[in-house]
This record gives sequence, structure tokens and C-alpha cells, in this order.
Amino acid sequence: MITRWGRAALVGASALLLAACGSTADTGSSGTSGAGGVKTDKGVTDSTITLGVMTDRTGVFKNLGDALTGGNELWVKDINAAGGICGRQLALEIVDHGYKADTAKTLYPQLEPKILGITQLVGSPVLAALKQNLVDDNVLTAPASWSSEVLNNPNVMMIGTTYDVEIIDGLSYFQQQGFIADGDTIGHIYIDGEYGGNGLRGSKYYAEKHNLTVQEAKITSTDNDLANIVTGLKGAGVKAIVLTTTPGQTASAMANNAALGLNVPVLGNNPTFDPALLSSPAAASLDRLYVAASSAPFSSKTPKAAEVAAEYKATYPGRPANAGVQAGYVESLVWQSVLQKACENGDLTRAGVQSALKSLTSVSTDDLVAPLDYSSPGAPPTRGVYIAKVDQAAEGGLTEVAPLFTAPDAADYKAPHQQP
Amino acid sequence: MSDTLVETPVPVEPARKRRNWAKIAGVAALLVVLVFFPVITGTEVAYLKAGQYVLIGVVGAVGLTLLVGQAGQLSLAHPFFLLVGAVSYAVLAGDAGESGDLVGLGLPPLVAMIGAVAICALVGLAFAPVSGRLRGIYLGVASLSLVFLGLYLGQSLDMLSGGTSSGRPPPTFEVFGFRFANTEPAPTIMGVAIQKQQRLWYLFLVIAIGSYLLARGAVRSRVGRAWRAVRDNEAAATAMGVRVWWSKAQAFTVSSAFAGMAGVLTALWLDLVKPDENEFIGTYSITVAIGYLAMVLIGGLGSIPGAVAGAVVVNGLPQLLTLGATEFGWFASAGAGGLSPVLVSAFVYGAAIVLVVLFEPGGLAAIGRRLTSRQGDRR
Repeated sequence: MITRWGRAALVGASALLLAACGSTADTGSSGTSGAGGVKTDKGVTDSTITLGVMTDRTGVFKNLGDALTGGNELWVKDINAAGGICGRQLALEIVDHGYKADTAKTLYPQLEPKILGITQLVGSPVLAALKQNLVDDNVLTAPASWSSEVLNNPNVMMIGTTYDVEIIDGLSYFQQQGFIADGDTIGHIYIDGEYGGNGLRGSKYYAEKHNLTVQEAKITSTDNDLANIVTGLKGAGVKAIVLTTTPGQTASAMANNAALGLNVPVLGNNPTFDPALLSSPAAASLDRLYVAASSAPFSSKTPKAAEVAAEYKATYPGRPANAGVQAGYVESLVWQSVLQKACENGDLTRAGVQSALKSLTSVSTDDLVAPLDYSSPGAPPTRGVYIAKVDQAAEGGLTEVAPLFTAPDAADYKAPHQQP
Repeated sequence: MSDTLVETPVPVEPARKRRNWAKIAGVAALLVVLVFFPVITGTEVAYLKAGQYVLIGVVGAVGLTLLVGQAGQLSLAHPFFLLVGAVSYAVLAGDAGESGDLVGLGLPPLVAMIGAVAICALVGLAFAPVSGRLRGIYLGVASLSLVFLGLYLGQSLDMLSGGTSSGRPPPTFEVFGFRFANTEPAPTIMGVAIQKQQRLWYLFLVIAIGSYLLARGAVRSRVGRAWRAVRDNEAAATAMGVRVWWSKAQAFTVSSAFAGMAGVLTALWLDLVKPDENEFIGTYSITVAIGYLAMVLIGGLGSIPGAVAGAVVVNGLPQLLTLGATEFGWFASAGAGGLSPVLVSAFVYGAAIVLVVLFEPGGLAAIGRRLTSRQGDRR
């Protein structure tokens, strides 16, 4: 079709385009003054503060996504009933990216102008793809992904501790219980990627401190049968196994741990367990699984955790019940502290929210997670975890065996982007 | 597209001329819309982002339709070449001093883009001993192995790919000092600021149109005739003096180069080069291979305008449905297990493939041809 006419059309279109050209005048937009003399820019009006939720309601993590969103929504309900923040009501703008980075990349520009910040962002591939956008637009984000590798992004507000620290604390607990001793061999099965790599970092650090040998077994997130890997670990004489895997892979590892007569205690990161496993064929073999997480298990006796769990069950009867509920609630609780601080400073702009965050040294969340310290960028805001053990009888499948604690080794650990 | 086989320059019928006028007007209107698309979307950058994604699909699908449709070689290796293109661009243009662990040669981005395409072409050529010997489904399966190879290499060569945990950012594209990033002040068109996303749109548009014209040139020339001859009958092609082996290798090389370009664009679109964590879900996965095959099938095997239409359906539809879902509240009730935009668009293109195979093996291209040639001017 590139006849003379085609060329003429092209030239014509370009000419039209040139004729319409201009330049943006250099307008400094530093926020306007709103109700109560508070400076605001995006996502905040005189009556409403809007936070974004980029979740997964249709992809592989939809159970987690639904629970997290439920936690966020409960918080909004609670805070609005208590009169809101800064004389404004809270609202959520929820989008579903189905755990796909390309969908999220398109949804983001639609969401960004409407929100002050993001209170839940599911998925490490999504976070990686949006990293530059979040920095460019100065959008403060609470990711539902706990890798210390993302802490080099100043706009990430980590809620709780990171996978590497979970493992260090968990192995300390194992040693304290006498499951492992200095000089032992342990196995670590991990998914290649941000999640697994970060978990492995923790066991390598602990191994170095305590002269352990780590038998590494790298898998991909679609491997379902771990029989030969567990057989290999048995041959290596492991005293414990660490898992940084999907719940399905956890089931396979546990089933083989029992079937092969290995029967060693198994330590998993927070995402390795899903209550749905209790109705899987592997259910009977799960009782050797311990989960280290910085948020309380669903059945936790911590008063606030119990309160949130009860409220969730009453409000959303059909929805999945897992630790995501408290995690979602606590994400928003931290946002609450940040917003209140920013309001005190009279600056609810994105920049104002950022500087409010940096000034917080001890955000308390009613023990849902340990007190959070955001004053040193690059370091996890806390290093404390709960240890929970699989328990068929407990609601949500986990029962707490150690309350919130920080192991000395975890306190000394230097995260990858931690500044000295 | 088979009409080019017997092309006689002599009779230029009036009917044919009239058809051209309609076509020219259509193309001109389409061009104007595409050129002014950033103005039409205005501040709704999300739709621009979706548009860019379609253009990436266009570049890749045009390359694949040459291979599958024109040269008759079934290939599922497209995602592998996307990955090679994206990683090559990041490596060639990357700044070595930026991070200790990553390899970066610090070449100008334009040179890096061309280099990435050249590397993909060479890798495609290296696969020629395989693609030249196998046919049909055997070649499809053999080419699929490249996707697994890409998964493995991407994970293990993290000094090149950035590794699966964080990936690496591709350097900002830049031509003769003009950066495809946000600047202040920015030029405007009819009051709309031409920032990073608008600039990328024009970059992608130019590359997509360039790819379209290049592919069309190949199809209409001696090269394309050789491909079709080999596809239809290798013995006859040999008898006519076509070097069968070379012709096949050529098609695979050219197609890989197109895929490499699409890979560079993907890296720029996502602001990220990051190998997938598994072979099924991700930017360079089997799902993407099927997606590209679907574009080519829906559009009509071998047809270049058809590949463009296929890219709009396969890459554009999920994006548009997702955007519409949040903007207008479609699928509002989609909780666990409900209909989601992603699911609906998968159904749509699944159904489109079945319908095409059953009722119109020529695809959207054949439907389009029938609509524009009511006069019976097709000889």
C-alpha cells in the first residue's frame, strides 16, 4: 500500500502532527492546600483518602489475594467507623492483575492518578515490573512479597520481616529445640526466583554461623513431585529440611518425608503453607512442618489477631480464611500510622507521606507483627517472627508454638541492601 | 497472498483502480488515527500502554507468519527469541559500571537494538540445521525445546539476564540524544504532553510499520516466491532452481530477527528484563508461544495484514477487557472462580481459532479480502 498516495498520507499525517506541536510550560506542582490546612496532591480530596490495591483474585495466588483484600477492607471499615484519618474517610481502589506482570503494567497507569499510595501489591514479578513506575511517581507501596532484595526501592514499605530473616529465626528455633546442632547437614528446597533465592540466603547465613552444611535443591514453581529430591536429601543425612516452595510442593515434600521414613522436622517460609493442604492426601504427614512468619497465624491467641479473625469470619463468610487476613489488616494498620503522622505534619502529599514514613521508628500493630522501624532504608523493619506448627484441629491449620521473638543471629544479619 | 505468484504487469483494470482508492483512503485514515492515538488517549495512558503491547505483538506475529505461513515451518520457539532479543539489548546497551555482577557493554541504545536483532538472526541461523531437516509437528516440538533452553539459560546465566530474582532494568532507549523518557519541559501535540509513554508509542509504531513493510517486501519478492515454492513442493522448488535448504534457513533467520525486535520492545515496555520462573507462566513462556501461534492462525496463515489483526485480538483483547473491567465495573462479581477478563479473552481467542479452522481457513485476512473485493476483480 505504499503507493504515492500512501506516502502522501504519511507525509500529510506527519505535517498535521507537527502543526499541532508545542511544549509544556514548566509548571511546578507542589500540592495544594486542602481542608484543615493540609497539603495534598494525588489521591486525597477534602473528604476522602484513596489507597490502591493491586491484587490477584483470579490467578495462582487468588486465595492469598482474597484474604489480603479482606484484611484491607476490614481495616477501612474499622477506621471509617472511628471517624477516618485527618477528617477524611478512607477508600480503596481495587484492581485484579491475575498475577500477570503485563496486565499489571497496563492497569497501573489507570490506577496511579486516583491513589495516594498502594496498600497491597501481590506478586514479585509484578513488583519487579512496576519498580521504575513506583519510583517515578513516588508511590509508597506495601508489597505482599517479603524479599529483602526489593528493599533497594525507596518506595517499598515492607510490612514485617523478610524471607531470609524468617529462615534465620526459624533455624535458631530448631537449634534451641535440639532438632539441629552445630556441624549438622540440613537440606533446603527452594524455587528459583526472588522468593526462593531470598530464603536460601537466610539458611546460607545461618549455616556459616553454625558450621552447618546446606544441601541445596533448586526447583521451578511447576515441579510437583519432590520424591527424588527428598530421597537425595535422605542420602545426604539431613537433620532438618527447609522449604521455600509453593503449598503444593510442601505437600509433596512432607508426604515423602514421612513415606521414606526420614521424618525430620521441616521449616517453611510463610507462603509454604495453605490451610487447603489439610484436605489434601498429604494431610496426615504435615505434622512435622513448622512455619516461621512475621505475622500471626489465623488461629493466634494474640488478642488483635483473634479479633480480626472473628470479624473477618462474620463479614465474609464464604471467603478463604488464612494468615493473609491479618497480613492484609496489618498492611493497612501501618498505612494508618503513616497517614496520621503525615497529617500531624500537615502534608498528605506523596512526598509528605514518604518523609512521614522515614520518621517512624516504632510502629506498633497490636502485636500482629513486631514493632516496625522505618528509619534505616534498605534494612527489614523488623526481625521478629512467630513460629507455628501444623495442627489439624486449629482453625487455619496452624497453631502457635513460639510467640514473637528475634534470634540473636537474625539481629546481626546484614540484609543485601542494608546501609552500614 | 498467493496472487503474487502470477503477476503480469500489463492489464490495469479500472475496477482494480477503484478498489485501490478505497484502500488508500482506509490506510490514510488508519495512519492518522495511529499517529494521533496519544492525543486521543490523552491522560489515559493505560490505553496507550495497551496499544504499545499490541504493536509488540504485531512485530512478532508478522515475523512468525512469514515462517509458518509463507515458508511452512511450524515454530514454537518465538518466546526464546524474544528472550534472546531482550537480554541482548540489555547486555549491549547496559552500563558496566552500574552493577558489579552484570555484564554491560555500554553501546549506544540504537546500536544495541540493531545488535540484538542481529544476534537473534544469527541464533536463528544456527538452528537452521534442525529446521532444515524437520517438518510439521516434528519441527514444532524441536523448536519448543528452545523455550526450555531459554528458561535454563536465563536462570543460570544471571550475569547476562539479571537472574530470576530481580532481573535487570533495560537502559533507556535513545536516538541521537533524544531520550525516550520523561523530560521537563516536554513537547506537546494539541496540548497533550509527549512524555515517555507517548514517545515509546511512536517508536513502537515506526518499528511496527517498518516490520510490516519489510515483511511485505520479502513476500512480494523473489525471496517470498522461493519460500512458497518450498512450502508447496520441495521437489518442484528444487527443479525450479530454488536452494531448498538455504531458503528454509533464510526464513527461520528472518523470523528470528523479527522476534528479537519484539523482544527488545518487550524489555522497553516492561522496563525490565527478567527470565521467567517457570516454563508455563511468564513473559517468555509456552503460553506466549501459543499466543503468537494463535495470532497467526486467527489472522490467516501467511497473511501479513492478518497477523496484525491477530495481534490486535490476542494481545489487545485481554488488556482492553481488564481496563474496561476496572473502569466500567465489568465482571464486578468475579471473585474466586468467576469470569475474569483474562479468562474471557482466552475463550474468545480459543473460539476464534476453532471458528477459523472450521469455516474460514484463510482467517481474518480472507474475510477482509472478500469484503474489499466485492467486484470480483480477483482475476
